[in-house]
Amino acid sequence: MTLEELRQKLDETQYVYDENMLTVLYVALTLGRPLLIEGAAGVGKTEVAKVMAAALDRELVRLQCYEGLDESKALYEWNYQKQLLTIQIHENDPDKQTLTKSLFSDEFLLERPLLKSIRSEKPVVLLIDEVDKADEEFEAFLLELLSEMQVTVPEIGTIRAKTVPFVVLTSNRARPLSEALRRRCAYLHIDYPDMDKELAILRKKLPNVDDRLRLQVALAVQKLRSAEEILKKPSIAETLDWAAALDALGIRELTPDAVRNTAGFVLKNNEDLLTLEDQEEEEPCGACREHSHG
Amino acid sequence: MDEVYIEKLSAFGRMLRREGLAAAPRDTEDAARLLAGMDLSNRERVKTALKTVYASTREEQLIFDRVFDGFFLSEEAMRAQARDQLEREQQRARERQQAQEELDGMGNRVRLDSSERESYKELPEDARKKLREFLEKYKGNVDRSPHLYSEFIHSVFAKALLEQQMRMENAGTGVEERDPEMGLLYRDIGEFKDSEIPKAISMIQAVARQINGELSAHRRAGAHSGKLDFRRTIRRSLSTGGSLHDLRFRKKHPRRKRLVLLCDVSGSMMQFSEFALRFIQSLNQVAESSRTFLFSETVVEADAFQLQNMDRFRTTVRESGIYGRGTDLGTALERLCAFRPPILNGSTTLIILSDSKTVDTHRAVLALQEAKRLSGRVLWLNPIPERNWKYLKSTMAVSQVCPMIPCSTLKELADACRRLARN
Repeated sequence: MTLEELRQKLDETQYVYDENMLTVLYVALTLGRPLLIEGAAGVGKTEVAKVMAAALDRELVRLQCYEGLDESKALYEWNYQKQLLTIQIHENDPDKQTLTKSLFSDEFLLERPLLKSIRSEKPVVLLIDEVDKADEEFEAFLLELLSEMQVTVPEIGTIRAKTVPFVVLTSNRARPLSEALRRRCAYLHIDYPDMDKELAILRKKLPNVDDRLRLQVALAVQKLRSAEEILKKPSIAETLDWAAALDALGIRELTPDAVRNTAGFVLKNNEDLLTLEDQEEEEPCGACREHSHG
Repeated sequence: MDEVYIEKLSAFGRMLRREGLAAAPRDTEDAARLLAGMDLSNRERVKTALKTVYASTREEQLIFDRVFDGFFLSEEAMRAQARDQLEREQQRARERQQAQEELDGMGNRVRLDSSERESYKELPEDARKKLREFLEKYKGNVDRSPHLYSEFIHSVFAKALLEQQMRMENAGTGVEERDPEMGLLYRDIGEFKDSEIPKAISMIQAVARQINGELSAHRRAGAHSGKLDFRRTIRRSLSTGGSLHDLRFRKKHPRRKRLVLLCDVSGSMMQFSEFALRFIQSLNQVAESSRTFLFSETVVEADAFQLQNMDRFRTTVRESGIYGRGTDLGTALERLCAFRPPILNGSTTLIILSDSKTVDTHRAVLALQEAKRLSGRVLWLNPIPERNWKYLKSTMAVSQVCPMIPCSTLKELADACRRLARN
């Protein structure tokens, strides 16, 4: 796929991207490297995988990482109950060796996301979400899969990928990932969007909202993000929620009252809400000020 | 792809490696494969594509940008750079010529050896002017009794030349300023402006969160004690008809350290101590308990409440009467060792936050040896860049007694905390 073809495919989705992201996606796709995406929570890291699945017309296989995630949840597990039942049914069967062998066949294998992604007949997009939450051993285990596109199941042997998935790993940098894992990946860092990008996202995702309101929301969110006192910076999802809530309430202008009544959609902790109230008392937000000046 | 491109890419890879990036031959191979199918006239796109291949963190991306911009210059930039270079060289030649004439004019009044004469030529004009004025001021005295004054004048010159040498070495470290946020991590803590302090504090919190996550992952990985947890293993085996295929082990309960922090709060050390304390306090994985002592000429204990925010910390230091005084590490350590009930014992880690500039170095070294004998471990976090340690006798002396970790930047401070927590 050429860069222009990828651009065309992405244009068909609702995702707002820039030239930098397009090039990185093209590089990862061309080289067949997994793509490691880092950035603050809510900047659209997971969305990239969904968009690539839509753009490439592939199934999205998702593995959500968490503390204690192991191979049995990520790769495969034997269906123990079924194995026990089979043993009981064939208790009187004289050919024990065949029975034992059959117990470790595909019939008893429960595919988890990683195995599913490499055994799929059609190539898929594999999303390994929040890989920084998984343990270091799991990260080491991922190396074999990502570099060789194969996994080893002790009872069966090595399973090679039938098709090569496009792998997207996301991380919030809760802990640094190993150098070995990073080296195997193409790297993309996503920052909070600037004013133009935020506005473009609002236009694309909420086409029915009044343009003036979209502009005011985008401006206010930018201002909130740049304020040092705000602890949890609003993400893109929160911007969209806020604009949608304002629109649903029939609000067309972002007045101080409107901000006060709907602030819970954009700021998600009490300290931040109190800070906003204090700031509003001292000086109404940028968007409102712009509004009052016409 | 043309041989010439591959050679260039290979040289570029070598340059990235020299700057600390792990540019593997496989990366260069991938880069060549990419460039073969790309429009090379779009400089930004080529840059992003290569960056994706070679850089795997945000920090590496910043280094990559710098190396790329230096290596692949546009024709216009190349011409401008050559023009600037020529102008700089001409200017430098003029300055050196002028400095040479000044040295000739000084004659025998200042005894400088050949390397000092060379260093003098590298001095900026304002520094040379100061030395000339100084010489002019003492002109009469030198002419009357050259033996008496020549040593003194030579020492003033030598000090100026040494300072210049240190400045040049510091400038060569290349603090990253492209990304102001990241740049703050690599800047000398003592050089932070007041307006940058809130940003620095939020960075400390972010980095501390990351280290806490890292440490808890590390602990989880090593949590296995090797002893079988029979009850959990049996319970687990119920789902498989009693076969013990999934063994469960007892968790290890690591004992955390007891920290004793001794912070220098004399004059210039205040800001560093505040940052370092904030850092160590926010690492909940490091210690099970900690006590903090502040010192300058004497030592006082600070409680956790007083360390909670910067204003309270500064008020505590000012009210304790130790602010603005000189540094006497020897006395501080002697008092710490003499506390009853004892503060230092085999299970404590003593961390000293100080630039090691103290009165009576000999006494300080003896007291440090005693503190080391009493404590389980002593670590010294020094805000002076490591490359300058060799110029400071007191630093060299105390570094012989206990491990000294350079902490002039937030990045180094974070690395020191990692080291402290892991060992």
